Amino acid sequence: MRQNDPPPVIEVRGLVKRYRDSDRPAVDSLDMTVRGGEFVALLGPNGAGKTTTLSILTTSLNKTAGEVRVAGYDLDTHAKEIRARIGIIFQSPSLDLRLTAEENLRFHASLYGIYGYRPTFRLMPRAYRDQVLTLARLLGIEGDLCHRVEKFSGGMRRKLEIVRSLMHHPKVLFLDEPTQGLDPVSRQSLWSYLRQVQKEEGTTVFLTTHYIEEAEGADRVFIVAKGRLLTEGTPETLKVQIADRYLLLDAVDRDQLVRDLDGLTVTTGEDGLLKVAFDGATPQGLLARITVPLTVLRIHVPSLEEAYIELVGREEAETAAG
Amino acid sequence: MSARKEANAIVAIAARDLLVLRRDWKANLAFSFFFPIAFLGLFGGLIGQNLAGGLPFNFLQFAFVGLVACMMAQYTMMNVTTLVQERETGFTQEIFVAPVSRFSIISGKILGGSAAGLLEITPFFVVAWAFGAPLSSALVSGILWVTPFALLLGGAMGVLLSGIFATSPKAVDQAVIMVMFPQMFLSGAVIPISHSSGVLEVLVRLMPATYLVDLMRTAAYRGTSVYGPLQLYAPWVDFVVLLAVSAAFFVAGTLLFASRERNR
Repeated sequence: MRQNDPPPVIEVRGLVKRYRDSDRPAVDSLDMTVRGGEFVALLGPNGAGKTTTLSILTTSLNKTAGEVRVAGYDLDTHAKEIRARIGIIFQSPSLDLRLTAEENLRFHASLYGIYGYRPTFRLMPRAYRDQVLTLARLLGIEGDLCHRVEKFSGGMRRKLEIVRSLMHHPKVLFLDEPTQGLDPVSRQSLWSYLRQVQKEEGTTVFLTTHYIEEAEGADRVFIVAKGRLLTEGTPETLKVQIADRYLLLDAVDRDQLVRDLDGLTVTTGEDGLLKVAFDGATPQGLLARITVPLTVLRIHVPSLEEAYIELVGREEAETAAG
Repeated sequence: MSARKEANAIVAIAARDLLVLRRDWKANLAFSFFFPIAFLGLFGGLIGQNLAGGLPFNFLQFAFVGLVACMMAQYTMMNVTTLVQERETGFTQEIFVAPVSRFSIISGKILGGSAAGLLEITPFFVVAWAFGAPLSSALVSGILWVTPFALLLGGAMGVLLSGIFATSPKAVDQAVIMVMFPQMFLSGAVIPISHSSGVLEVLVRLMPATYLVDLMRTAAYRGTSVYGPLQLYAPWVDFVVLLAVSAAFFVAGTLLFASRERNR
């Protein structure tokens, strides 16, 4: 850790979770550290142990082994202190559909001890009313506060859940595949709001997802498969580390082109073009060797998706090989 | 979290149950009249008119007191077990990740379930009056004195069932029915049980509702000529059994529920 790095808010050492009647652990020797204010994504295929990990970190599931500290508190001894300092958006919505949006917020605020419970919105303290109205305005649900949540769209429900989870100003906001079932516009607005919260309030955001484009927006990505951490890093680092960077080339005089590239690994790539890896070098250095006029020049910039598929595919192949 | 905050959470959980009850008031109202009409008005009324002619007490009144005791506990039990049913909607998650003690959560559910149970029991009074059961102020005041015990027992039974069947809303629904009917028939709520013997006597003694019904009848009939003949046990026996059973069910149910939530 560098000297100026914020202190860690999530520290996980050797975390193991083995469900009853299961022959393999859902989470296997997981280590991770998340620093304050970071936006991290736990990325992995179905059954990778993402939700299990999140359930343990949010105190709703017991671990089998390992050490976990969240917001500076030990999970084994201070679960209640942790709960007071985290916000959670569950995979399945946890709103009471029979209550209005405001009643859901009031219930949450009272449960977390932010405000004393009163039977109506008008009787709640002014600070509560102001907070609710400000948040509702921000998300554009001001006019729907008194409507039953069952009439809300999926996007509105998710927004409401986010507003609710932030009411007690948590240090860490956990989101378990929060955009599942949302349309692209709702997803986009949800992410921009979360980014805003992270920036303005310094909230650490911990996201589990299997959507690569969501992970791409994170500060750091932890890739997991079959309960194990495969790798971690910024999306940029992961792309460079895992996926191949290469040029796709062609020329009228292909034989001369191959001679120009002598000493390099040249294979056949997409569309029958010549594929030349440039790991550890720059494309410019490679291009400088070429003397023939090129008919095709494509620089392949790896995406996180490719890195992810490469890594998870490798893991599956290794498992299959025993 | 301070005691004040815990108390606030208990009130919020209870208030939510009442809000939900109010939201579905039409269905709830219709349902709350079904039991008193079926069991008190029709079943109790027919037995009273056709089979209970020689009894030294008014059978409808007898059944009314017993059913009120029993059903008050049953309604509260059913309301508390919604904690498990709410797992399906994911709402239980929101409650269980809050910085509130598990005992406060369960206490909130019992308080809310009890308040709802009290509202749901009022149709019994309406039906009893409509079918001609004598309702004196002494009888009603006796019922009210024992009401907290009914709510406590019902809440504790609900907590225990929620703990045992924490992960299965369907199973808890079935368990409620399996607990409800034996309690109603074997506790003496409708049918007198003072002359039970053999297996039935054992079962009667095993039903927690037996002691509740007995205590409520003792309170309701005190100072009347049928006070003695209708009494099964000394009031202190009923009192001790109810408190002990409720405390045991509450603690065991809460620990089971919290542990089943987290130990999967």
